[in-house]
Order: sequence, then C-alpha cells, then structure tokens
Amino acid sequence: MNDILVTAATRVGNPAVDEWKAEGKGIIGHVCSHVPEEIITAAGLFPYRLRGIETQSTSIGDTYFGPFICSCPKAILENAGRGKYSFLDGAIMVQACDSMRRLDECWRKAGEDYPGIVPPFFHYMGVPHKVTDYAIDWFVEELEKFAAALEAQFGGKVTSEALAEAVSLHNETRRLLIRLEEMRAMDNPPLSGEEAMTLILAGTAMPKSVYNPLLAEELDAVSGRDGGHGGKIRILLAGSVVDDLAMFRTIEAEGAVVVADTVCFGSRDYDGLVEEENPSFKSLARRYLNEQFCPRMFGYYQKRLDVLKKKIADANVDGVILQNIRFCDLHGSENGLFERDLEAMGIPCLRVEREYGPLGDEGRVRMRVSAFLERIAQAA
Amino acid sequence: MARYFAGCDLGSTTGKAVILDEAGDIAASALIRAKIDPVETGREVLDLAVKQVPELSGIEDVAYLVGTGYGRNEVPFANENISEITCHAVGAHFADPGIRTILDIGGQDIKAIAVNEDGSVLEFAMNDKCAAGTGRFFEAVVRTFDVSLDEFSELSLKAKRVVPVTSQCTVFAESELVSLLYKRNPPADIAAGVQMSVAKRVFTLARRVGVRPKITVTGGCSRNKGLIKALEKTLREEVTILPLDPQLMGAVGAAVMAFRKA
Repeated sequence: MNDILVTAATRVGNPAVDEWKAEGKGIIGHVCSHVPEEIITAAGLFPYRLRGIETQSTSIGDTYFGPFICSCPKAILENAGRGKYSFLDGAIMVQACDSMRRLDECWRKAGEDYPGIVPPFFHYMGVPHKVTDYAIDWFVEELEKFAAALEAQFGGKVTSEALAEAVSLHNETRRLLIRLEEMRAMDNPPLSGEEAMTLILAGTAMPKSVYNPLLAEELDAVSGRDGGHGGKIRILLAGSVVDDLAMFRTIEAEGAVVVADTVCFGSRDYDGLVEEENPSFKSLARRYLNEQFCPRMFGYYQKRLDVLKKKIADANVDGVILQNIRFCDLHGSENGLFERDLEAMGIPCLRVEREYGPLGDEGRVRMRVSAFLERIAQAA
Repeated sequence: MARYFAGCDLGSTTGKAVILDEAGDIAASALIRAKIDPVETGREVLDLAVKQVPELSGIEDVAYLVGTGYGRNEVPFANENISEITCHAVGAHFADPGIRTILDIGGQDIKAIAVNEDGSVLEFAMNDKCAAGTGRFFEAVVRTFDVSLDEFSELSLKAKRVVPVTSQCTVFAESELVSLLYKRNPPADIAAGVQMSVAKRVFTLARRVGVRPKITVTGGCSRNKGLIKALEKTLREEVTILPLDPQLMGAVGAAVMAFRKA
C-alpha cells in the first residue's frame, strides 16, 4: 500500500498536510460526519477530520472535560494541547453529540492555559437532530453563516461553480469508497478490514484531490487479488466512532475478517451522494441530514436498523460487534436495541464497552471477541 | 505410554492446571497464586500437575495442551488457546451436563454464560464498567474487616439482617464500609450487605443472558458461601454446587477441549 496513505491513516501529521501548507493554503479541522466538507473545499481549503490518535493519556483532556465524558473528544483536546494540531488554520465545532459539543468550550478554555492552541478561525455551527422542512431551512442558514465566516477569514469565495466542483470531487471519493465496500463484501475479500480501514481513514486526513487518484490506484491494484480471507468468520463492526486500526487488528488477530461497518470514519461518511445537478446548500443540507447513520438523529432507529440489516445481508455477515466508548449514551443505548432485534433474527451480536482507540484495554476486548467468535463457530 | 491431555487457565489472580487421562477422567490438578510473569505461573502450575502423574516427566509429554484465561497466549507448550468463556462452559458441562447458566466470578471479571444441552455457548455477558463485585473487590473488603476471605464468608452467614451497601466503586465501597462499622452496625450484617451488593451486580448480568436452571457458580468467588446464599436469594433459584472444584472449571474445560482435539 502507498506509504502516504498508510501515514495519513495512522499519524496526525502526514506529507499531504505538509505539501498543502507549503503551498500556503489553509487547513480546517472538524469533528463530525455532519460537517459538509464540500463548503470547506469550495473555499479553497482542506477539510481535515480531527482524531485523538497517538495520545497516551488524557491529562489535558481530563482537566477541562468532566470524568463522565467520552474519551474521544478528550483525546482530540489532548493532541491540540500538545501542539499536534498547530498546522490547523481553523476548526469548526458542532454538537455532533453532547461530548463533542463540549470540545468547543473546553478547547477555548484550554487555550487560556496553553496559549496558541486555539486555531485563528474557530467556528461553532448548529446541526439539527431531526429532518423536517424547518430543520433543513435552519441548517441551510447555519451553512451560509459558516461559508460567509470562511470567506471573511480566508478570502476565498464559495461560488456556485466552486461548490459544484467540490460536490463532484467529494462524490467521487464516495463512489470509490462504495467500490471498496463492495470489494469487502465479496466471498473472499481482496483486503482485510484493517487494510480497508487504512484506505478509508487516509481520506479523512488528505485533500480529496490528492486522495482520490491514490485510492483509485489502490483499488485497481487489489481488485481480483486473493486476500486469503475466504472461509473466515465475517464480522460487521457497529457503534461508536472508530478512527484507528486497533479495533480491526484485535478482531482480525482472532481469525475473523471485518467485511462491513456502520461506524463513523467508516461507511457512515460515504453512504449517499449529494445531488450533482445545480448543487446548493439545500442539497448539501438534505444529504448531510438524510444520509447519516448516527443515533444523534432523533427518531430514526428503524431506518438505521434497516441499513444495518441490508449491510449484514449484502456482506453475508456472520456476527455483529456492537461496541461503544464508555459514556457514549447514544451508541450504548442503541446497541442494546440492535442486539435485541438482531439476535431475535438469529444474528449473533457482541456488545462491548471500551475506551477510545489508543486508550483501549486491548486484552479485555480481545477476550470478549475471541469468545464471541468461538460462539459463532460452535453454532455453525 | 498412556496419553494425557491438559488445560491451563492463567487468570488475573490465580493459575490453574488440569490433566485428563485417556478415559477422560481427571488425573491431576493444581492451583497457584499468579506471579508477575505469566509464563512462570504457567510453568509452575503445570509442573505441579505433571508431578501428580508418575508417567509424565514434563509437560512436553502431554498429547495436547490448551491454554485459556487472560494469559492464554503465554501458556508454555500450549498447542492452542481458547477463550475462558468457552472453557468455563465446557468445564461446567463436563462436571454437570444439566447446567444451563454459569456465573463465573473471577478475580477481575464477572461473566454470565448461557449454555445449551451440549455445553456450547448460547450467549454471554460480562462486566464492562469496572471490576467492582469481583474477587479483587472481596480482597479489598476483607482488608477493611481484617479477616480472611473464608472468615468473611462465614461472618456474613451469621447476619441477623442485611445492611445495604450501595457504593458501586470498590474504593468508595471500602470507605462506606468503614463508616458503617463506625456507626456500630454489626460486622456480620455489613458483610451480608456486601454479599448482597455483589449478588445484585451478578444478577443484572445474569438477566442479560437469561437465567435458566440449573445455575452454577464458577471461578474463585464460588468458594464464598455467603455470596452463593445471597445469589440464591436474588435469583430466586437454587445454585447447583459442582462436584468438581468450581475454581478449576476454566482449566477443566480447556483439558476437555484438548481431549476432544487429540
């Protein structure tokens, strides 16, 4: 696999970031799959999805967040506090979930103690929790405010031509990732879940214009390859945000293959295209509210269960791992419902609560995964 | 030479080994406190078991060895490793084929396991938030009472009433116990409260997999008679005591799996 993709997937900084900065262009960090990256791209900037990878503690994060908060935003703040996000020219905060919303005030507050860690452009944007006509109108207003703020700060203009170009660029990314998803669903997938996730993660930390051709090249290269994953237990990974490879590695080290997922940073980010004919903020609003799998959206449990069932059928999944980060109420409670409904249909489920990626207690999770795989194997 | 099959369970606080003979009967078993180095724990506990079988000169002579428990990847000479969930299910089924629900209460985990007629795992649930209510919790509690684990168990059985202990955290529960003792509550009644608080935690997990008789308790905490009594009260079901040492059940299951392989 191309080194740039591997570095982008596994490190906070990567050559694509360095090159972009060397050209004097701006980078905007964001924290949620509900942020329409197309607007950032259309303003001539590079949307970079923030992660807490590489953290070894949350000593800075713990100071500003309370103890009963998901460790993911804490780890992001930890990276910011340690200066790892000094390459950012701006960041956009949204109330993705309550924990992530608090990153806005905690980052600002930490900035008083650690001067220079808050990027010069720091914008808060509202995202509705329901899809109604008035919610879409309100979201469009929020997007307009965001675009205007970017224009005022960075000088670029979000013209309809630039937006159309950005939409087609980001849709191209989605089409490629959907192709990757189809490859994973094959009887003998040409790549492991870890390799697939590496490709997916890289795209969140690179400009799409650089990423798309590299991804296309990788897909062509692995297409038709015998990945040696035929006959393995096929797992779908669902639940809280997964932005590193550890979870995939743990599951696959026990002899299974992760053939599908519904997690944030995974398939949640590329399901559903934006209308390409005369794209507008309204078409962005519709895609970003309608085509999302996150339980932050109120009242769409049945729809999310249907998406999950379809992915299980498409990828011929043997078992579903429903994981949630501690204190992730949204996924924690929804996982209980998924488990009830999927088990009733005869689909084995494992519910695991864990810490966020790099802070995870691997041994404990591994034991549960291994027992789950044995349970599936015994039943077969 | 007759063939032997072994299972080794390296848990968080103890290491266990069991050897089966060709007929599938238990030929030897051993249990030791876990050391810092899991390999050393494995070697020592296996040696202790091997010494009980005159025909074996070392663990290498065993036809098949299965490792289980947290340290299962560290078991010396293991042919395979299998998770302790499967092993406890197989072990309990071996000891009593009528068992359908296993509550394994070990050093740092509580597991509720539902098994079917052939001993395979239907479903399992485990504690995720923290290790309160496990063996480590009892170790902390008996320090406060300044008694041994067995004495603590006996003490709780003498309670006239149950003083509720509500703290969910091991550390906070300890300080709650201290204040209850300072308030001159009879130690036996507080001890019964501790047993009940753990029983309730186990009950929550057991409900997740469904409580079907016969129910049994495995793991180190199975030796705690006061806890068994509290569990019977919470579950409103009889707890079946296995004919083999329930603390060895993971190692027994691993040995049975080894026996089936070879």
